[in-house]
Order: sequence, then C-alpha cells, then structure tokens
Amino acid sequence: MGLSMTINGDHLTSTADPVTPLVDVLREDFHLTGAKPVCREGFCGACMVLIDGNPTPSCLIPAALAQGCDIRTVEGLAANGRLNPIQAALEACDAVQCGMCFPGMVVSLTHLLTTRPEATRDDIRAALTGNICRCTGYERIIEAALLALATP
Amino acid sequence: MDTPISGSVYVAPSLSTALDALHEGGSAAAPFAGGTWIMRAPIRHEQLKSRYVAIGKIPELHTIKVDADAVEIGAAVTHAALATALAELGEFDVLTAAAGHSANPAIRTMATIGGNLATTAFAAADCVPALLCLDAEVEIASRDDRERTSLEQFLTMRSTLAPGRLLHRIIVPRRDRKTVHARLPLRRAGDYPTAIVSLAMILDDAGLVETARIAVGSVEPVARRWGRLETALIGHPLNAAKAAEAAAELADEFAGRDAADVPGWYRVRVLPGLVRRAVAALGS
Ligand SMILES: Cc1cc2nc3c(=O)[nH]c(=O)nc-3n(C[C@H](O)[C@H](O)[C@H](O)COP(=O)(O)OP(=O)(O)OC[C@H]3O[C@@H](n4cnc5c(N)ncnc54)[C@H](O)[C@@H]3O)c2cc1C
Ligand code: FES
Ligand code: FES
Repeated sequence: MGLSMTINGDHLTSTADPVTPLVDVLREDFHLTGAKPVCREGFCGACMVLIDGNPTPSCLIPAALAQGCDIRTVEGLAANGRLNPIQAALEACDAVQCGMCFPGMVVSLTHLLTTRPEATRDDIRAALTGNICRCTGYERIIEAALLALATP
Repeated sequence: MDTPISGSVYVAPSLSTALDALHEGGSAAAPFAGGTWIMRAPIRHEQLKSRYVAIGKIPELHTIKVDADAVEIGAAVTHAALATALAELGEFDVLTAAAGHSANPAIRTMATIGGNLATTAFAAADCVPALLCLDAEVEIASRDDRERTSLEQFLTMRSTLAPGRLLHRIIVPRRDRKTVHARLPLRRAGDYPTAIVSLAMILDDAGLVETARIAVGSVEPVARRWGRLETALIGHPLNAAKAAEAAAELADEFAGRDAADVPGWYRVRVLPGLVRRAVAALGS
C-alpha cells in the first residue's frame, strides 16, 4: 500500500518504506531536490520544510507520519512563479554564496516573516539556530530578513 | 540513498490502542514520539525496531494540568509546548529553561518530554536534571496497570522497561522554591550541553538554605543528584562564590564521560563555574 501525501498542494503517492525520512521521498520519488540531506541529524536545517506551517527538518520525519499533513517545500514558496518577500530580499542583499543552506534558510525565514512580523535582529538569530550556513554568510542573511520585515 | 529499512508505523489514536499495539508487538515494537532520537539511529549504527507505535497524536499524552499541589505533564508534550505552558510559573524556571533552550526551535516543536526521559543512551538530556531537582515522579502505563515511581528510580529501570509499557506522564510537586538551569554548550546555537547544573532551593525566613536539590547532567552517562553539595549548602545564605568553592572541593566524585565533543575531565572541570552561575542567577 502506498503512502499518500500533499506536497505544495499536489496529492502524490510513494511506495517508500514507512520509516524512510521524508527528505529522501521528496528527492528520490518526487524529484523535489530543494531540501538537502546534509547532516541527517536535525542540526543543519538544509532539509527544512514546512509541515502544517511549522519549519521541520525533513530528515527526522518518517514518510508515514507526513501523510495527512500539508507539506510545503522551497519549490512551493514562490506562488505563481513570483519570489516571496524573503526570497526577494535575499536576492536583493546578494546573500547567496554556495546556496547549500538556502532552501532551509528560505523555509525558516518564510515562517518567521509570516508569524513574527515584529521580529528583531535577535529573534532572527534565534530563529536560525537550526540553520547552519557553511559559507558563514549569516550577516547578509540577517540583513535580508530585516529588509523583508521592513518592506510593506 | 541511506534509507533505514523497517516494518511499520502505527499511528495510535488513543492511549489504550497504543498500549494494545505495544503489548502485541512485544520486544519488536517501541513507542515513536518526536522521532528526534529514533530517526538518527542509522548515524549511530543502530538497528531500527520493526514496529513503531506513534504516540504523538494521542490527545491524553499532550495535556499539561496545573493544580495547586502538582503539575502533570503528558509524555508527548513537546519541549516548545512545555516551555510556553510553564513560562509564568517562576518555581518551574529550571524546567522552562531546560525545555525552551535545548536543541533548536524546529527540534523543540518535535522532541517530547517523554522521549527526553526515556532515551537511555542520551546523557545530555536537559529535562532529566531539571526534573530531578524538582523531585519529579513518573507514571508508567501498560495495558493492565499504572505504576508510579520517582524519576530517580525510573532512570535505573528505563533500559529494561518491559515491552508493552510506556511513560504516560510526569508529575512534579509544587513548592515555593527558586530554581535555575545552567548549561554549557560549546556554541549556543543548537549544540548539546557539555555539562548541566539544575538547582532548586527553598530558603527559610532568615534567607538561609532550608532544602537544596542539585542535579548534574551530561557529565556522567546518567544525570544524578549531587547530594554532598546539597548538604554543604544547607543552613547557609545563597552565595555564588562559596557555592562554587564547595563544588570545586567535591567535584572529584564525578567520573566525566569522554565523547567526541569534549573529554570527560573538561565536563568535571566546568562544574564549579556552572554552580557559581546557577547560584548567582538566583540572586545571591
Ligand atoms: C539536532 C538536535 C539537537 C538536540 N539537542 C538537545 C539538547 O540540547 N538537549 C536535549 O535535552 N535534547 C536535545 N535533543 C533532543 C533529543 O533527541 C530529545 O530530547 C529526546 O531525547 C528524544 O525525544 P523524542 O520525543 O524525539 O523521542 P523519540 O526519538 O521518539 O524516542 C526516543 C526513545 O524514547 C522512547 N520513547 C519515546 N517516548 C516514550 C514514552 N512515552 N515512553 C517510553 N519510551 C518512549 C522511544 O521508543 C525511543 O527509544 C536534540 C535533538 C536533535 C535532533
Ligand atoms: S539534513 Fe536534516 S537537519 Fe541537516
Ligand atoms: S551559502 Fe553556502 S552554506 Fe550557506
């Protein structure tokens, strides 16, 4: 029996083993390769997706428990092909370096922007404690988040 | 693709169905709470169980009941939910800090208090010393009975908990005490604590320590109370420098565990500093 999931609004099915980490199903079965399995431990945030609106490392969610949830990956965050406010701000601030951490950064910051419009620099730093940027591009990422928060 | 192969995940809708499934699964089955420990089994080179009973959707295990005498916490309450629920209750500052500052924000919305206490091989669990210093008790449920025991006792039996049983709830007595959680991660951003000192003090009318509970986590494989330091502080005013001096004299009773992040001696060496920080935070 397959696993059925709702991903970026699409209903998809997978024949993966129930305990397969969601990140592998996203990438291998559905070819949504934005989420990256980097540490597979919940430390780096490169595999972050929104599950029922909450940033969640998809390396730690078994596919079986993702059934019945609203899953949003970075591929689903630019509605009608238009960058969302944090994506636009990251581009404007030239924040991307190698890009490995970016899908996760976008997911965590999209959540912060929609739930905490009054967030401060410290709040942004705290929200990103589970997103590691190996290129250490944090300052520009935080500047971009502040810009997005300040843009009406 | 490094996919762990396993059998099944049963999402239990109620406590009784979970207990039935665990009973039927015997030693092949285990509870699956937040999954933040279980899903990392391949990295630890451990086998997954062939049957998991997911307990995260059971309403009864998500309740936090605050009474005049005690607070009862369902085992599937997440760290984030616990920190929010207890934020206004000063006597639980130690637990609010343990639950609210461990790991990172995403993990705190997944990891459960029950998983934190039940994970035998996890020495750095923040809520264990926090709940030890609060004199917490736990209730273990099986299909046929409920058993209540101290957290201290549970820590000695958790690795051999019979199949079919699960941690149902945690009961923390309410007292007029001052509490604090001092942890030392290598970096504040999401690292495990290398050492933890959790402290709960009751002062008498003259401001002298009447009862002291001090628990140390992450230093040895299992967190435990520091009885000799508790005794040394009783009858004295709270004084951070003196408490740190006493801790330095007594710290050699700990055999620090070596791990990839830091060596054992370092965990012991930082204890007096953590004691100083904890007592100072209580306003000494
Ligand atoms: C990146 C990262 C950083 C972390 N940092 C910290 C930290 O700094 N401090 C900290 O305290 N924690 C930290 N953790 C979290 C740690 O994994 C969890 O606190 C906890 O040990 C597991 O909780 P869980 O609900 O995810 O358990 P699970 O992974 O679901 O289960 C863990 C074990 O407990 C058993 N179990 C679960 N619930 C019950 C129950 N009710 N009854 C009986 N057995 C049960 C399971 O069968 C399994 O053996 C971190 C986790 C990650 C991924
Ligand atoms: S791969 Fe999931 S958090 Fe790093
Ligand atoms: S841009 Fe390279 S890891 Fe962040």
